[in-house]
Amino acid sequence: MNTEFRMACYIFMASIALMVGACAPTATGKPDIASSTGASGARSPGGDQLAGEGQRGKTGESDADASSLKRLQEGKSSATAASSPLKDVFFEFDRYDLTSDGRATLRANADWLKSNSSARVEIEGHCDERGTNEYNLALGAKRAQAAREFLSTLGIGADRLSTISYGEEIPVCKELNESCWKQNRRARFVIIQGRSTS
Amino acid sequence: MILKFVFMVFFFFTHPWVAATGEIPVQRAAVTGEIVGSGGQKFPIAVSPLKNLASPTTDSARLSTGIADAMVHDLELSGWFRVLDRSAYIENAQNSGITLGTFDFKDWSTIGAEGLVKGGFSVQGDDITVELRLFDVYQNKERIGKRYSGRVRDFRRIAHKFVDEIINQFTGIPGIFNTRIAYVSNSGGRFKEIYLSHLDGNEKFQVTDNHTINLSPDWSPDGRSILYSSFKDRSQTLYLFELSSGKETKFTPRGGGRYLGGKFSPDGQTIVATLESGGNTNLYLLDRSGNVIRRLTEERGIEVSPAWSPDGKQIVYVSDRSGSPQLYILDLQGGKSRRLTYSGSYNTSPEWSPKGDRIVYTGRVGNRFAIFTISADGGEPRKLTSESSDSEDPTWSPDGRFIAFSSNRAGRYHLYVMQAGGDNQRRLTGSGGDDTKPNWSPRLAD
Repeated sequence: MNTEFRMACYIFMASIALMVGACAPTATGKPDIASSTGASGARSPGGDQLAGEGQRGKTGESDADASSLKRLQEGKSSATAASSPLKDVFFEFDRYDLTSDGRATLRANADWLKSNSSARVEIEGHCDERGTNEYNLALGAKRAQAAREFLSTLGIGADRLSTISYGEEIPVCKELNESCWKQNRRARFVIIQGRSTS
Repeated sequence: MILKFVFMVFFFFTHPWVAATGEIPVQRAAVTGEIVGSGGQKFPIAVSPLKNLASPTTDSARLSTGIADAMVHDLELSGWFRVLDRSAYIENAQNSGITLGTFDFKDWSTIGAEGLVKGGFSVQGDDITVELRLFDVYQNKERIGKRYSGRVRDFRRIAHKFVDEIINQFTGIPGIFNTRIAYVSNSGGRFKEIYLSHLDGNEKFQVTDNHTINLSPDWSPDGRSILYSSFKDRSQTLYLFELSSGKETKFTPRGGGRYLGGKFSPDGQTIVATLESGGNTNLYLLDRSGNVIRRLTEERGIEVSPAWSPDGKQIVYVSDRSGSPQLYILDLQGGKSRRLTYSGSYNTSPEWSPKGDRIVYTGRVGNRFAIFTISADGGEPRKLTSESSDSEDPTWSPDGRFIAFSSNRAGRYHLYVMQAGGDNQRRLTGSGGDDTKPNWSPRLAD
C-alpha cells in the first residue's frame, strides 16, 4: 500500500468519524472485473477503493458498505468485507429457512446492531445462478425477509431493517459448482446509515 | 389448391402440427419416389442470387446475394428445407431470366432442387423494388410471384416476408420470419441490457443502456413497445418503452414494493405483474400505465412468472405453495387455481402456446435445467432438450410452431430456436456474451 492511499484512508476515517477500524489497508475493493467507463460514481485509476460516495459521505455509505448494485456498477466485488461487523447468512438450495449456522450469525449481527443503535441495515437476498431469474428474485426476497424477521424477534426494530432482492444477478463468483453456488445463496447486510462507535 | 394439398401431404404428413387441417394424408408416390420418414426428409430448394434489373451500382452485388442469403437463413432455420449450396448452381443469375420460359428448369433439377426461388431487383436512390417467385421444378410451374417495394436498407425484411409466403404455400400458415426477438445480454460484460434483433442477428437495437441489471423483456401484442424490469432506479420495477418515440413509462409499485416482471395480455390492454412486498411475491393485474386493477393471488409464498393463455382467460404461473416451484393455472373469471405439473421438483418459466394447447417451461433434471412442454390440461410432460447442459427461458413463435430459448450447451449462454416438438435446434447470432430471456415478438406490421 502506498502512502497516498494510507493518507486518504485516514482522512476518510476522520471525515466520517464513525468507523470502527473498518478502513484497513487490506480492505476489499479490488475490482474482480475490469472497470469500464460510464459507471456512476467517481473512481480513480487502479481501483482506488476510496474514490466513492463514502468519501463524500452523502448517504453515509462507506465503501465497505456499498450495496451490491453499487459495487456492480463500480466494477467491484459484492463480497462482504472480512472487516464488516455484519456477516452473511447462507442458505440451502431453493430454501429460505434459516439453518442453525444462520441463526448463530444473526444473533451475532443482532448484538452488533444493539450496540450500534443508530445503524440501519439493508438486507440483500441473493441466490445461486440455477433456476430462473424471476423465481430467484422472489427467493432472494424470501431470504432477506427471513433474516429480517429473525432479527426482529431478537429485538431489533423492524424500522431499522429494509430488504431488497438481487436474485442471481449479482453473484460473488461465477463457477458452475457447489463451492461457488453456496457462496451466492446468502443474505448480505449492508449498513446504510448512522454507524456509531461502540 | 390441389398442388398445395399434395405438397403439404407429401412432405409434412408426419408432422402433426402442420397437417392438422382435417385433410387425410395420402401418399403420392409418383413425384420423386422419395420416402418421407419421421423427422422428415427436408424439402430440397435452391435460392438463386437475385438478378439486378437496372444498371449496376456499388450495391448490386451485395444486394443480389444479401437478399438471397436472408432467405436461405430463414428457410434453413425453419428446419423444413434443405437449401442447396450456391456453389453448385449452374446458371449465372445475372444472365438468366427470372420468369417462366426465360430460364431452364433442367439447370435446377440436375442439381436436385425440387423448389426454386428466383427474382430480381432494381434500386432507385434509397428505394428498392424486388420481385420474387417460387417455382416448382418438377412441374415447371410458378407457385408464388410477389413484388415488394421498400427502402434499400430494409432489404432483409422483404426476404423474411417472402419466406413467410413460401411457408404459407406449403403449410397453409404463414411463416414467422418477419419477427424479432427481444433478449437480455451482458455482451461479455457485467451489466445486463435489453436488445432486439431479427432471428438472423441483423437489425440489432439496444433498448437499454443504463449500466445496471435489466431483465424480462416482453413485447406488447402490437409490436410497438417493450415492457421490462430494471434496477436502474435502484428499486426494481417495470418500465414500458415505446419503440417509435423512445418514450418510457415507469410503473411505481404501491406500498413500496417491487415489480419483478410483467407480461402483456393478448389484447394488449392489461399486464399481469409480479409484485414483491415484505418478502412475499404475488400476481397483480395492471393497466398500461401501471395502475393496479386488482390483486390476483393472496399467497404468503412465492408466486411468479405469469404467462397468459392466448384467449386471455387464464394465467399460468409458478408457485411454491406445495413446497417446491410448480406450475399452476389461474382462471381469471372464477379466481381459482389448479396445479398443472406433478413431475419434477422444480418447474418454472412457463409460456402458453399461441395455439392454446400446450405450455412450455423449464424443469430441473438432476442438477441441470431442460425445456419441457405439457398439455394445458395436464398430463405427462415431454422433454425437448438434453440435460447434459442447461436450456431455459423458452418463448413461443407467434404461430406456435417454434420455440426460442437460451442454452449454455456451447459454453456461454446463447439463443437457440427449435421446432415445437424439439427438432432442429439451431443457434442464433447473439451479442457476444451471455444472451438470455428471449421473448418472441408478434408478427410485425409492414
